Amino acid sequence: MKFTSAISAAALAAVLAIPAFSPAFAEVESQDPIRLTTHDWTGQIINTTILGEILKKAGYNVELVQADYIAQFAGLKTGDLHVATEIWETTGREAMDEAIATGDVVNMGEGGMMAIEEWWYPSYMEERCPGLPNWEALNDCAAEFATSETAPLGRYLGGPVTWGGFDEERVEALGLDFEVVHAGTDAALFAELESAYQRKAPIVLWIYSPHWSTVKYEGSFVEFPPFSKECYEDPSVGVNPNAAYDCGKPTGPIWKVAWAGVEDKWPGAAEIIRNYTLTNDEMGKLVVAVDLDGKSIEEAANSWMEENAAKVDSWIN
Amino acid sequence: MNWRRLISPHALFWWGLLAVTWILSTTSFQLYKALDARWIIRFPKAWEMPMESWISDAMRWLLEDATFGLFTFREFTRFISAIIEVPYDVARAALADGFVQGQGSNAVEIAPPLSWIAIIVIMIVLGRVAKDWTLALLVGACFLYLAMFGQWDSAMVTLASVVIAVPIGVIGGLALGILSFRIPWVERALRPILDLMQTVPVFAYLVPILFLFGFGPVAALVATIIYAMPPMVRVSTVALQTVPAEVVEAGKMAGCTRRQMMWKVLVPSAAPTLMVGVNQVIMLTLNMVIIASMIGAGGLGFDVLSALRRLDIGGGIEAGLAIVVMAIALDRVSQAFSTRLPDEVMGRDLSYVQRHPWFTTVFVVVVLTYIAGLFAPAVQDYPEAATLTTSAFWEDAMRYVNVTFFDTFEAIKDVFLSYLLLPVKRFFTGIPWAWGIIAAGLAAAKVGGWRLGVMAALMTTFIAATGLWTKAMITIYLCGVSVFIAYAIGVPLGIWAGQNARANRWVGAFIDTLQTLPSFVYLIPVVMLFRVGDFSAMIAVVLYALAPAVRYAAHGIRAIEPQMIEAGLVSGCTRRQLLWRVKLPLAAPSLLLGLNQTIMLALSMLVITALVGTRDLGQEVYIALTKANTGQGIVAGLSVAFIAIIADRIVSAMARHSKERLGLA
Amino acid sequence: MERPLKMVCRNVWKLYGPDPAAFLRANPAPTNEQLREVGMIGAVRAANVQIGEGEIFVIMGLSGSGKSTLVRCLSRLIEPTGGEILFDGEDLLAMSEQELIQLRRKKIGMVFQNFALLPHLTVLQNVAFPLDVQGVPRATREARAHEMIETVGLKGRENYFPRQLSGGQQQRVGIARSLVVEPEIWFLDEPFSALDPLIRREMQDEFLRLQGLLKKTIVFITHDFDEAIRLADRIAVMKDGRIVQTATPEELVMNPATDYVAEFTHHIPRGKVLSLRSIMSPGTGDGPYAGDLKSTDRVADVADRIEAADHPHRVLDDSGTPIGTVDGRAVIDVLIGRRASE
Repeated sequence: MKFTSAISAAALAAVLAIPAFSPAFAEVESQDPIRLTTHDWTGQIINTTILGEILKKAGYNVELVQADYIAQFAGLKTGDLHVATEIWETTGREAMDEAIATGDVVNMGEGGMMAIEEWWYPSYMEERCPGLPNWEALNDCAAEFATSETAPLGRYLGGPVTWGGFDEERVEALGLDFEVVHAGTDAALFAELESAYQRKAPIVLWIYSPHWSTVKYEGSFVEFPPFSKECYEDPSVGVNPNAAYDCGKPTGPIWKVAWAGVEDKWPGAAEIIRNYTLTNDEMGKLVVAVDLDGKSIEEAANSWMEENAAKVDSWIN
Repeated sequence: MNWRRLISPHALFWWGLLAVTWILSTTSFQLYKALDARWIIRFPKAWEMPMESWISDAMRWLLEDATFGLFTFREFTRFISAIIEVPYDVARAALADGFVQGQGSNAVEIAPPLSWIAIIVIMIVLGRVAKDWTLALLVGACFLYLAMFGQWDSAMVTLASVVIAVPIGVIGGLALGILSFRIPWVERALRPILDLMQTVPVFAYLVPILFLFGFGPVAALVATIIYAMPPMVRVSTVALQTVPAEVVEAGKMAGCTRRQMMWKVLVPSAAPTLMVGVNQVIMLTLNMVIIASMIGAGGLGFDVLSALRRLDIGGGIEAGLAIVVMAIALDRVSQAFSTRLPDEVMGRDLSYVQRHPWFTTVFVVVVLTYIAGLFAPAVQDYPEAATLTTSAFWEDAMRYVNVTFFDTFEAIKDVFLSYLLLPVKRFFTGIPWAWGIIAAGLAAAKVGGWRLGVMAALMTTFIAATGLWTKAMITIYLCGVSVFIAYAIGVPLGIWAGQNARANRWVGAFIDTLQTLPSFVYLIPVVMLFRVGDFSAMIAVVLYALAPAVRYAAHGIRAIEPQMIEAGLVSGCTRRQLLWRVKLPLAAPSLLLGLNQTIMLALSMLVITALVGTRDLGQEVYIALTKANTGQGIVAGLSVAFIAIIADRIVSAMARHSKERLGLA
Repeated sequence: MERPLKMVCRNVWKLYGPDPAAFLRANPAPTNEQLREVGMIGAVRAANVQIGEGEIFVIMGLSGSGKSTLVRCLSRLIEPTGGEILFDGEDLLAMSEQELIQLRRKKIGMVFQNFALLPHLTVLQNVAFPLDVQGVPRATREARAHEMIETVGLKGRENYFPRQLSGGQQQRVGIARSLVVEPEIWFLDEPFSALDPLIRREMQDEFLRLQGLLKKTIVFITHDFDEAIRLADRIAVMKDGRIVQTATPEELVMNPATDYVAEFTHHIPRGKVLSLRSIMSPGTGDGPYAGDLKSTDRVADVADRIEAADHPHRVLDDSGTPIGTVDGRAVIDVLIGRRASE
């Protein structure tokens, strides 16, 4: 590694005639850029941009690198990438645990937001299916949700199979008259929602929050029996004594993780990263500003920085 | 209808094979119950090859332990990415970011990137040098579109990766082409590798590339190059092989050394054909823009993806059209270069400026816009206030169509599903794996000889033995139905275009757009109108795979010798008879090649329709990507490749037979 | 043949098939049957050729007769399977690649049926190409190329590209290119076959004019017997890879070795080929004679005189010694194709 990075730096310097270092702030530990990963959803990019701005304010050099949500762990392990701001308990836990187990990646604490994932329906469905949001009402109006492909069962649009979620098991355990259809990506998921919403057509699907969709579309999450670990693991727990998964989905924090070397190379930055948090509310507003009101990510991040200058300073010092 | 042909021994073989397959497919479940032999429908777990873990282990070894003695394999790949990064950074600075000194917050801009005016002028000059003012105007208009619709910055990031990926792909492809031209065993060894490079879905090897080449634009460039290079290798080999023997002999008799032979005789003589390869590399590079942006290439591809994630259909279409526009400009210019004749040599007594008028123009414009840009920002960056957007229009149009026609579409979809898609799906998924292997072997052997039969059977066995049988059958069903429909639409369109110049222009433009418009752009509208499911996937595949069916049909019709048609006319053929009795039989080899290409495109698109939500091999590849599971991705990718290779060999053999029958071979 | 030998080829074979070299070692003189048995194709079989300095040696045969293969063996563009080829007494087949390159650069020129011009180079650059690959400085090689272009009559078209020229002009470029290095031996592989008949004739004249100036040793390939007769000092007729007969045009016409050769000679206007030497009655009688004619005179040129005369003419050799007589009947025999002995 040393060998290659030295060569690339030398080559770059030769071509661009740029001196490798030009520190402006003497007090930070290293002028090497800290690489934060961005993924392909707005909230995460805003989140990362804000953290980047904070680190810059503290005098660090920062680089935002686009990387896949799961594939990034390979880079975090080797130190190609340094910080990831959003690893969701609900979708990234497995990959995160695996990476932390190697000792090359460390958990930098909760990011302040809570992830919610659950069956969701638009509010106009309350008229057609009066018992909602109670899950038991779903069976009464399964026919409302049916399509020609699934009839007589109702159609529930699940997330990509990679998200897991145990929806088939849940349908079975709770005796729901629904068929689970998996979207390939969340873009497909929201495309169907948009289409149905435009036509005020029946739909029930997997939605996660924080996300712009819960702001843009009016609707609610279905209320299942509350999640518990035992409910998932022990068939006897829950409404159905013979099946596991007879309850709702878990909620959980969104974690920050980093390459283990960050602590040694930029101890000050590591401290800031641990301190940094953003709440669901704040995130909701930021995402709406960008995705629905058309502001640029930088604008949104900057106005947040201005509004929260005091908080930011307390994190830095 | 000629009944005798339907019961000839030749036809009986196919009817028999189909009948046995159908019977086994419909009864496989009962058979399993009756005989209590689950192995009939499921490949026994105990026999499964742990290919996935083998490949993952091999990858881990490559990453962590493989060494050349002085340095490890990964250091080697990282070294390569460092080398690629240098020119990429320069290109990106020149086109998009500007040259800066220092890092991060301390960065000081030394020089801005080339201004939008300068780049448009460069493109216009390229168009003029390549051909004429018409082309120059077209190219200029294309780039002006990018500026006016606010796509400039992203487009330049994309252009920077094109500017780096294309030369590397071309030089690498030419080098490999030269090697396989010179050394026969290299050609033999390369052929299957190229087959795999072209048929294994890109998603399957993104993960190992990320591991080996690091995160960011360089890994995306490497993936792009792997995807875009194979046609250049093939074209180079063929181009060199088809340099007339006499020209080579003339070179030898002039006393050329081997090196002089290659660089002074062969390569320049093959240049026009080589340019066809260059054109291919450019187009494939642009096809990769979206996928490359998934692993950090940024640019227009990223704009498309992020627009779609927030369901900004208009934004997605605009960014997508920007890719189309850029593709059209680069395609036309590179095609013009391939047919370009050397300029007349001018007198020797002219000054440098007179001899290089275009270069001088570009130089002057670059310098002038740089200076003017220091004072007037609008010269440097296209003023934001003057940008247009059609986003709202697309949004409203989509809403209107959705609200008004959804029910109609739903009804059409139901008909297709119940009468075509579902029966075919049941047929394929019912085929017991053991019979599937035999049937693939028999069919391939019948068409292409026993070697092909054995190869097909072995490849099918690989698919079954890695536990992917059902997913492979769903792949074949979805691909088969889509190809059938694409072909049914595309061939008549192509025939029409082949016989009518005006139709040809419109159909051509339509096809060009469909092929360069990133499929992601229409995936979302398709899902909105047809919901998640096989039908949506099929529509997306049909749209993408239509192009070769149309092109080859049109080409086949156009390539018929006029004499043949005249012979038909003087024999008293009606127009219909002329088409069915003369044109179509003569166009048959071309139609079959079109079928071949349609299948290839359909298979490559299936991987992308996994994003809609299919349960085929494409999904398997995509799951592997999101889980960063190298082994799973490569095994599923190889399965897709094997299906593609079997289909390719069978259809090519059929095309060869049909050519031989017509005496065209 | 008094001329010193420039090129000699002895028992040259070119076989295609599985391991032809080993097969030829085992069967030094395979018959047609032997070849067929093992699936060998004999493109050139037991070719023996001796080419004298300054001679125009034509190899004539129909397509597939092996003539192109033979000339490629002589220039070693194709590696012969067996035999011996001497160039100025040196073993061509023993030369290393380096020596061969040097030989081709300095001593051999070749013209091709389809011109084989490099499409990306101008006329000037094409002609200068052989000098270019030798590393001759630009000014020198272009001066030399200009000379050659003038010689072949293309002055003023130096900056044209091949595609802008007619076929005949393109072949003139080919000729100029092959001569630019002042080769000692000049191979022409069907140089005029791709041209229209009228142009072909013009080019043949041009060729004879050039040879008059340059006096090269020439190996000329053609499938056109008329062309062969017109240009050749000696002709080798090939069929199925074998040289059927090697002789002067006159000998060929007078004494075709096989029916195959006779097929060609039959339709040839004999008067234009035959000289008096070959139709005269040897020995001088008592006269009276209508006059004296040279033995090298072509029959067609003097036929009128002989026929109009009442008496035979006396035929003199180069030194002026009478060697025979010729009369009207002999001329008629020739012109109507009757054998003199009949």
